[in-house]
Amino acid sequence: MAVHEHAYKPYAGPLTPVWSRFLIIPRHAYRDVFASKLYTALFALCFVCPLVMAILIYLHHNLTAMAALSISLKDIVPINGFFFQFFVGTQTFFAFVLTVLMGPPLISRDLANNALPLYLCRPFSRAEYVIGKMSVLLILISAITWIPGELLFLFQSYLEGAGWAASNLWIAGAVFVGSWTWILLLAMLSVTISAWVKWRLAASAALFGLFIISNAIGFMVNGVLQTRWGGLFNLTFIMKTIEDSLFRAPNSAGLPSWMVLPTSAAWIMLALFLAFCLFLLTRRVRAYEVVR
Amino acid sequence: MTDKPDDHMIVFEDVSKFYGEILGVNRVTLAIEPGITSLVGPNGSGKTTLMNLMTGLIRPTRGRVSVLGLRPDHPEVFFSKVGYCSQFDSFPSALTGFQFIYSYLRVHGRPKKEAQELAWKALHRVDLLEAAHRKIAAYSKGMRQRVRFAQAIAHEPAVMILDEPLNGLDPMARAETIRLFRQLAEEGLHLIISSHILHEVNDMSDTVILLNNGYVVAEGAIQGVRDEMEEHPMQILIRCDRPGLLAARVFEQDSVVEAKIHKDKHGLFVKTRDADAFYLLLNTIVVQDGLNVESVAPADDDLNAVYQYLIGGGEGA
Repeated sequence: MAVHEHAYKPYAGPLTPVWSRFLIIPRHAYRDVFASKLYTALFALCFVCPLVMAILIYLHHNLTAMAALSISLKDIVPINGFFFQFFVGTQTFFAFVLTVLMGPPLISRDLANNALPLYLCRPFSRAEYVIGKMSVLLILISAITWIPGELLFLFQSYLEGAGWAASNLWIAGAVFVGSWTWILLLAMLSVTISAWVKWRLAASAALFGLFIISNAIGFMVNGVLQTRWGGLFNLTFIMKTIEDSLFRAPNSAGLPSWMVLPTSAAWIMLALFLAFCLFLLTRRVRAYEVVR
Repeated sequence: MTDKPDDHMIVFEDVSKFYGEILGVNRVTLAIEPGITSLVGPNGSGKTTLMNLMTGLIRPTRGRVSVLGLRPDHPEVFFSKVGYCSQFDSFPSALTGFQFIYSYLRVHGRPKKEAQELAWKALHRVDLLEAAHRKIAAYSKGMRQRVRFAQAIAHEPAVMILDEPLNGLDPMARAETIRLFRQLAEEGLHLIISSHILHEVNDMSDTVILLNNGYVVAEGAIQGVRDEMEEHPMQILIRCDRPGLLAARVFEQDSVVEAKIHKDKHGLFVKTRDADAFYLLLNTIVVQDGLNVESVAPADDDLNAVYQYLIGGGEGA
């Protein structure tokens, strides 16, 4: 047996807070994303709608401009719940496109490279790893949905006055909650598919196809069984039901009343869907695949 | 506070790990002291399972594993003491060597400045300073191996688990890496190494653990393991001027089971169950008969021989 000096001295200095360490993951992901001109251009495009809506809000309160245009914007585009619901709907579409492009390689690349043990042999749990990966989308989609939405609300409140803000505070809440339900759904779906489908194109297609297939299944069930509950399998329909309730615009799509789902059922279905994604993630995100 | 003996050792207490019905390792009891310990065994023998248990990446089905008295239930302390170098190309894409090491140091919770200093120090230790700002994707196999090793030592752990750390290195880099292993071992670190290159394991290890089918078949210093293998007589080659005389004399000992004169008539190949007694006899013959001995060399007291006797097959675990 060799005689050793025991000169080793462990590190005893300060450490960064545990909660902040997951942010290491998105930082490198963003560097990759914005190295691509296509992604940068797409991200810039996501701000066209907020910009146009900010201009509309400004024109609403600029009598000179309204007179010069000889139109009554207040009648054509009223600034109300529908205005902000349209904003959230448009921005979540862009969020979906960003997710389809950016989401698939998030975990699949680490799985393909066997990189998970490298993260997990550090003081970094599986939950922190998944949160870190999800935060790539959470932060980016937030930047194009609820953050500009709330800024638009503040802008309108500033121009219209405190009275409008007080009586329409629910719109700010609807923008925030409506955006976050979409953000969570897209981020969770994306990392789950990324964890199970290694091939990037297939993962993008799966993410895209999930909405189309769930739509088709929903309509099929409704058609065959002459029921409205098929809508519970339709992700787009579930999200639309939740959004309508948040923006106090029940059945904004104008569906026959027998097809409209109860809001509580839509929330429960969304929660179950997210829980299922979480279950699939826990099965897949582990340092070593358990052979059975 | 006084240190417990376990605080300086990696301890496995009756550890078993099953993957469903598949055996990973079974009833392993070990106490690994500082220094270089090599895990040797054929594919599927349980080397990686044992390493994963030490790194806390998997938990035992039965038994207890502690590393320097710590268990993975306290990840902040546990993982600060353990460094892991996997055998795979586990590189997040588009990172440079520096970013790769720096990022994982940040995951360890090291502040920015500290992380930068440690990343440079680790890159310096593996001689990758010049390539630090090149993307890992452009590294050669040997450079990838070195950067993988750098990330394992960067946070200055007390225990390093190194899965095939010499793979892909050229002879110079191998020699340099082994020198670094020895240096770290002399600082009191634990280095747990799995390798397929038996002669290098033989040269650098203080202790070996031989595994087969999930069981530990032998552990300890190579020489000690060999000495205990009584069913396999020790083979010794003596180069001398009168091998015939030597052959006639060696059978005075019951422990000598075979003596064969070398084809060139200048050597004798002896198989004995008691090497120490044989060496004493050889001394006597040299003195009494004036035997001119050129060299005496044990032919099978290395890891390769031990491996073949216990596990079978040629060189290559």
